[in-house]
Amino acid sequence: MRVLLAEDDPNISLIAKISLEKLAGHEVTVVCDGEQALNQALTQNYDLILLDEMMPKMNGLRVCKEYRTRCPDPKPVIFLSARSQECDLREFNENGTGFIPKPFDPTALPRQIRDLLERAA
Amino acid sequence: MTPGTIRFRLFILMGALTSMTLALACASYETFKTYQLGRQQLEASHFLSEAISTERNSRRLHRRHDVSLKNEAEFRRYIRGQLTYLENKLLYLGSLTIITLLSGLAGLQIFMGFTVIRPLKDLSRKMTDFMCDRYTYRFSVPGSDEIGHMHATFNALAQRVITNMDELRTLDQAKSEFLNIASHELRTPLTSIKGSLSLMRSGVVGEVNEMTGNLLTIAETETDRLIRLINDFLDLAKIEAQKLSLRQDWRSLNDVINGCLKSLQGLAQQAEVRLLTEALPPLEARIDGDRIQQILTNLVANAVKVSPKGKSVTIRANVDEGHRLAIEVRDQGCGIAPQDQEVIFQKFRQATTSPLVKGTGLGLAIAKALVEQHGGEIGVRSVPGDGSVFFFTLPEWRYGSQKPTEAAA
Repeated sequence: MRVLLAEDDPNISLIAKISLEKLAGHEVTVVCDGEQALNQALTQNYDLILLDEMMPKMNGLRVCKEYRTRCPDPKPVIFLSARSQECDLREFNENGTGFIPKPFDPTALPRQIRDLLERAA
Repeated sequence: MTPGTIRFRLFILMGALTSMTLALACASYETFKTYQLGRQQLEASHFLSEAISTERNSRRLHRRHDVSLKNEAEFRRYIRGQLTYLENKLLYLGSLTIITLLSGLAGLQIFMGFTVIRPLKDLSRKMTDFMCDRYTYRFSVPGSDEIGHMHATFNALAQRVITNMDELRTLDQAKSEFLNIASHELRTPLTSIKGSLSLMRSGVVGEVNEMTGNLLTIAETETDRLIRLINDFLDLAKIEAQKLSLRQDWRSLNDVINGCLKSLQGLAQQAEVRLLTEALPPLEARIDGDRIQQILTNLVANAVKVSPKGKSVTIRANVDEGHRLAIEVRDQGCGIAPQDQEVIFQKFRQATTSPLVKGTGLGLAIAKALVEQHGGEIGVRSVPGDGSVFFFTLPEWRYGSQKPTEAAA
């Protein structure tokens, strides 16, 4: 699976990249802000987009909304966020496929993604 | 005595009133004395006339006596005229004294009303306004008398209170900001460390030999401890700064207890301690579910840690005679000495005989603060050597629609 990962903390993105590549065999592209994420998502072909909620330039929710309006065939979007209040969760679920709370356990990340995708399908 | 003060004005007013009344009283007294003198003379003249009449009747010397009698009668007429005048004067002076006194009192009333009562009422209204955060005091110009002075003092005081309040608000904001930054900055690196360690542990980045495994275990354990410590510190700091808001909702107690049991199953198995719940009635409580689960998890984890192998920890909920919902965690450990039973709920304090050497000493302090924020109480009943029962009460609860769950785990 080709995965786009947008995350501004390089440590976290490296951990997530290793986890997804080594544990699940996905091909991961990492970007570090909202604008790059939107450009990549619109120009390249990915199977899944992982968006951090708090990013420079454009937050995850805005990237997702833009992407969904501008892309004719949007792919699943999963948010990563430390926010866990009910209203936030509802917003994540309404706009994307689901949400993974931060801090995440890298050994469990591939399974969490698989569960969310299966639930959506 | 400074001119312009109420005391000075009152002194002048009272002085004028007193001197006028005194002058009138003196005049009345003088008149009265003259009046009495007149009465005496009148009586003396009567007496004299009667004596002369008796003399005339006995000695028949009536011509000379007639002249004397006529003089006396004239004298009496004159005195009577004078007495009538004096009576009128007395009446006049008396009424004048009463009128002066009455008008003086009325003047005093008006004076007090204008210079004391009205400004006092005005000041008290401004104070009330201030209490209600309406700052009308700023528009008042205080006078130069005592109440004006008081007014000015109040204005200055109010100004100082407002300045202090602004300062406090700024400090409070700084504290919130610090807490937010601290919690973010402290947690972020730990999250990366923990993530890296668990990836290394999973073996995907290279074979983990025994020695590396041991070192990884140390790093993982200590990272977990640090994360717990930081979370506890930040929780307590937030509670103390009154920045922790509860998200209260009607929650099923069974859900909370089951959540807690699930998260502690591993710990219990490791310690070879059984976790039991007594059959719970379907209760709901208005609580912040996450926070109550945090409290319960803390109590149960403590109970597991102090329990010897093969023993059990029991969780039960019941409604006491005071109609309060109490949740109890009973262990079969060594119990807590009476002198330690108060201490353990304080920050950084553990029972002197505690086996929980690796705790932060904050868990129970946080639990106490959180329970109290819910309006409940927390406590412990323990007999040394015979285990302990930690309990906390929740004030807002009701019977739910759920079926009671049987003893679990």
